[in-house]
Amino acid sequence: MAEHRQAPELKARAQELLDRKLDRVRLVSDTSQFMELMLGDVLELEGRRYLIKGVTYEGRFGLDEEPKHWVKRAVEWETGEPKIIKLVFYEEFDLPVGKLYVRCYRSPAKEARILDLVKDHPHFMHGQCLKDVKGNLVRVLDLVRGGPFERNLAKLGGDHREYYSRHLRGVLDRLLPAVEGIGFLHKNGQRHGDIRRDHLFDCADSGLMRWIDFDYNFEFRENPYGLDLFGLGNVLCYAVGKGIPTLQEVQRQQPEVLQKLDTGDLSLIIPNRVFNLKKIYPHLPEELNRVLMHFAASSNVFYERVEELLADLKPAMAALPRPEEDAA
Amino acid sequence: MILWNRVLVGVDGSDHGLNAVRYLAAVLGGSSNCKVRLMAVHLPSPQDDPSRAEEIKARDVEARIALEECLLEAHRILVEARLAAENVTSELVEADGSRGVGEVIMEMQRQGGYGTVVVGRRGLSKAEEFLFGSVSNTVVRQATDCCVWVVA
Repeated sequence: MAEHRQAPELKARAQELLDRKLDRVRLVSDTSQFMELMLGDVLELEGRRYLIKGVTYEGRFGLDEEPKHWVKRAVEWETGEPKIIKLVFYEEFDLPVGKLYVRCYRSPAKEARILDLVKDHPHFMHGQCLKDVKGNLVRVLDLVRGGPFERNLAKLGGDHREYYSRHLRGVLDRLLPAVEGIGFLHKNGQRHGDIRRDHLFDCADSGLMRWIDFDYNFEFRENPYGLDLFGLGNVLCYAVGKGIPTLQEVQRQQPEVLQKLDTGDLSLIIPNRVFNLKKIYPHLPEELNRVLMHFAASSNVFYERVEELLADLKPAMAALPRPEEDAA
Repeated sequence: MILWNRVLVGVDGSDHGLNAVRYLAAVLGGSSNCKVRLMAVHLPSPQDDPSRAEEIKARDVEARIALEECLLEAHRILVEARLAAENVTSELVEADGSRGVGEVIMEMQRQGGYGTVVVGRRGLSKAEEFLFGSVSNTVVRQATDCCVWVVA
């Protein structure tokens, strides 16, 4: 699968880039066997070279530290700039979404299409798609510096009332353009496919929120954007509540509130998450809570388009306290 | 003015769609002043995985055949109900995958000036409707100058 060349200058440059001795350096132009690609391998793609440093790891929901062998950490050969390299890995599976299952598969072609579409859009990760000698679509991604949006949210101390009065408006002001970014995808016939709060990065340098990882695709259904809307509802509820309270958490922390909740207050899709946050945080404005309730089990009207969500969210945000200077 | 007797019927290969056609046949059977357009929408599978290209292509061909058979069956039901065969036409529409079936049906309704739209309803759960969408919901939501029959 790989061409083995050990030109001395190749090894010297690789060692210089990594600042360490390497036993072996290979020049690789076929990435089909991605499991075999490792530290010291130099990918040659359409005349450009990238030195592999290692693999990346899952970072969520009980999968922490599980290696993702098809996603490598790398540096650009000429500049030393860090890159993430996503290699072609086809898998198809039933993704559980609450009690439902969605037939899902990884699509390098879809991610390549979106990378091209969002190359000038500030609220998405950037990168380019290069083909190896076998035609595999290798995505070479710029590193998004910062951390998942939820991690930065967690750093904002205090109780929810303090979060509401000091930070929520600022958080939503920054989240809004990212939500509009998903609308931009939809207008162009694309969908993110895997909207989760750990796929929204809060960028340390720019203060922008940016979506990452859009290689999931699904069998087409009547509403091609329903899953994205579901994901946006979760992210929004998380932002408003500084977390989405589960029934178990409410029982533990505010047992008196549990009596006031009914099934209509819970997420339509994942029925142990409370979406009627006003019952837990009475200081939340009714207008904002009403937006969340479109994702709750009691709703009979759902958002089918991002514009519909934004049309309700923007005026609801106007009633929120202005952010402080040091807000999120 | 709404031309109520220009009728657009969406079928999707399911019993629900054909039940809507049977209902229509029961209501309009014997009428000579109705023109019925049967339509089915084929949504192509994404061709993103070259290793499965043949399998996906075969599945698409099967899906198209099923829709064509459904259109034939719907045509037969209406003609058996004594609608004149020349007043019953059918079309299989190829969609591009960026819009749902409901949107394609309503685009046809607007373009063709159909006064009545008839669709079946599967009876999805609320969660399914939210995540995957519902043709009948889309049709009802987008209808502005026509009558919609939803046959559940």
